[in-house]
Amino acid sequence: MSQSSPALTIENLRKEYDDVTALDGVSLTVPEGSFFGLLGPNGAGKTTFINILVGLVRKSGGTARVFGHDVEADYQQTRNAIGLAPQEFNVDRFFPIREVLEHKAGYHGIPAEEATARADEVLKQVGIYDKRDTRFDWLSGGMKRRFLLARALITDPDLLILDEPTAGVDVQLRRDLWELVTDLNDQGKTILLTTHYIEEAERLCDEVAILDSGQVRAVATPDELKNRGTDQIVVELREPPTTLPALLAGDDRVEAIDRDGHQLTVTARNGGLVAPQLVRELDGEGIEIVDLEITRTSLEEIFVEMTRHDDTADNAGDDDSDGENGGDNDTDEPLAEQQVAPDGGQR
Amino acid sequence: MSVVDRAAAAAGVPTGFYTLVKREILRYVRRPKNTFIPPFITNVLYFSVFGVVLGDRVGEITGVPYILFILPGLVVLGAVSNAFENASFSIFHGRWNEYIDETLTSPLSYTQMVWAYLLSSALRGVLVGTLIGVLGFFIIGGLYQPVPVEQPLYLVAFLLVITMLFSSLGIVGGLLAEDFDDLTMMNQFLLRPLVFFGAVFYSLEDLTPLLRDFSLLNPMVYMVNGVRYGFLGISEVDPQLSLALLIGGTAIVAALNVWLFKRGYGLTD
Repeated sequence: MSQSSPALTIENLRKEYDDVTALDGVSLTVPEGSFFGLLGPNGAGKTTFINILVGLVRKSGGTARVFGHDVEADYQQTRNAIGLAPQEFNVDRFFPIREVLEHKAGYHGIPAEEATARADEVLKQVGIYDKRDTRFDWLSGGMKRRFLLARALITDPDLLILDEPTAGVDVQLRRDLWELVTDLNDQGKTILLTTHYIEEAERLCDEVAILDSGQVRAVATPDELKNRGTDQIVVELREPPTTLPALLAGDDRVEAIDRDGHQLTVTARNGGLVAPQLVRELDGEGIEIVDLEITRTSLEEIFVEMTRHDDTADNAGDDDSDGENGGDNDTDEPLAEQQVAPDGGQR
Repeated sequence: MSVVDRAAAAAGVPTGFYTLVKREILRYVRRPKNTFIPPFITNVLYFSVFGVVLGDRVGEITGVPYILFILPGLVVLGAVSNAFENASFSIFHGRWNEYIDETLTSPLSYTQMVWAYLLSSALRGVLVGTLIGVLGFFIIGGLYQPVPVEQPLYLVAFLLVITMLFSSLGIVGGLLAEDFDDLTMMNQFLLRPLVFFGAVFYSLEDLTPLLRDFSLLNPMVYMVNGVRYGFLGISEVDPQLSLALLIGGTAIVAALNVWLFKRGYGLTD
């Protein structure tokens, strides 16, 4: 299916729970066909944002459109365009998973025969077809995540929303899911991903929005965001002179130059562009370079910087309704993965 | 694709609405130990104790054996209890475990959602009411006299409208409930007293004029008398007036259901 409007057009979206503001004037546009990431710490408002789109939360103000359809006035068209894999395991426990999928397809107007065929197809796609006659409660944690994705795909949605899809899954499954959603995006589906895993956003997303305390702090590509940080150029010198000449003078991208014995460290924005000039100047001064390494600012560092709260009371806006404290914890969390929890806590 | 699926498609029933009705019906039909066995056992006990043991001492009421007099009331009790409990449980359990989100995030209209829950629960009430009726046919027919159905159309009409009314009330209950205790409270402290003071086990003529007038405020009186009219052809209140009042009440509560769904009461944050 092809739609002419952006996948999402959000203007000044607000959500208040009594005296708590979960969304505070969010505005952003997600182009059709893009892979869009929504990053933010716990309680930032990510799940509230998603739930407004699918009708599980009522907005307090502003507008939200999905492929041009208003989420409230045109709720049926909106919901038909969206497939949601939520963070919580909100699955019908009374029926085997294939039947759950058939029902979900049926609610979206897909006839019974086609629904059965599609259910088999998506179960194969996510790799749990042999569990088709099992009820959800009897699946392992990883299989449950796969099932949520299958349920989101059963209606062949134009917009696929993945709310922390890899929370609590092992590295292999995470990579399988990445491959699957990348293929889906290549096939033209718009994907909205919320995640704590910065590596995930960096690897998958065309564009990310950083949401914090209900506000959008930035919308940019991962590269653009990284360019906002400072890089480090570390140069190993063979025989450094006692006094270094003035290097990179007048280059406003350079923030600091430090020397420690044979090692010269230049801190600069766009380090990749500054390095050639540095090499030329050192060469011009007859100083031999043994080794050179550029360390780029990670997206994670940018993220932490943007969402850092000097006063932890700033997190007073956190609310359980955001759902990020209630996810599954029944599988091992790989510690090696880059997981950002700016509040210093464990999810 | 089953025969029923094909028939529904051929009749032009919207697929989404049909699927939700089907899901709701399959949920209780596949669990007969929960749906059909308990009312069967309970009513065998009712017929045995109230009908056979006590009934012989009571004798006749309004010219019929006591066991036959209470049959319509037991049918109503089983039908409305099951309609109410099914609707309230289905909505509340879905909310509690959040799988009602599967329905809420679908393109079904709010009216379709409400009618799917309402009709499937009403059907459960009708099935249980019919089960009790059939049980009565065998027990009363075997021990006393054949059970008449004097006004079959009225019987069907009353059974349909009372189960739909209590399904609608069950939906309200399922939306209002905050935990499972609330559902138990509604059943034990609202539904049961209405039924037991609803002329199931006694005639209004046995009451003082004041209590009789007071009883007329109880909607169960009209339901029991309506179903009794269907079976026995006798009623202590005008059956047409009863039917009209019950249809009106059902329409109002069903409209309230749709309004609550649209507003997201108990369903959305």
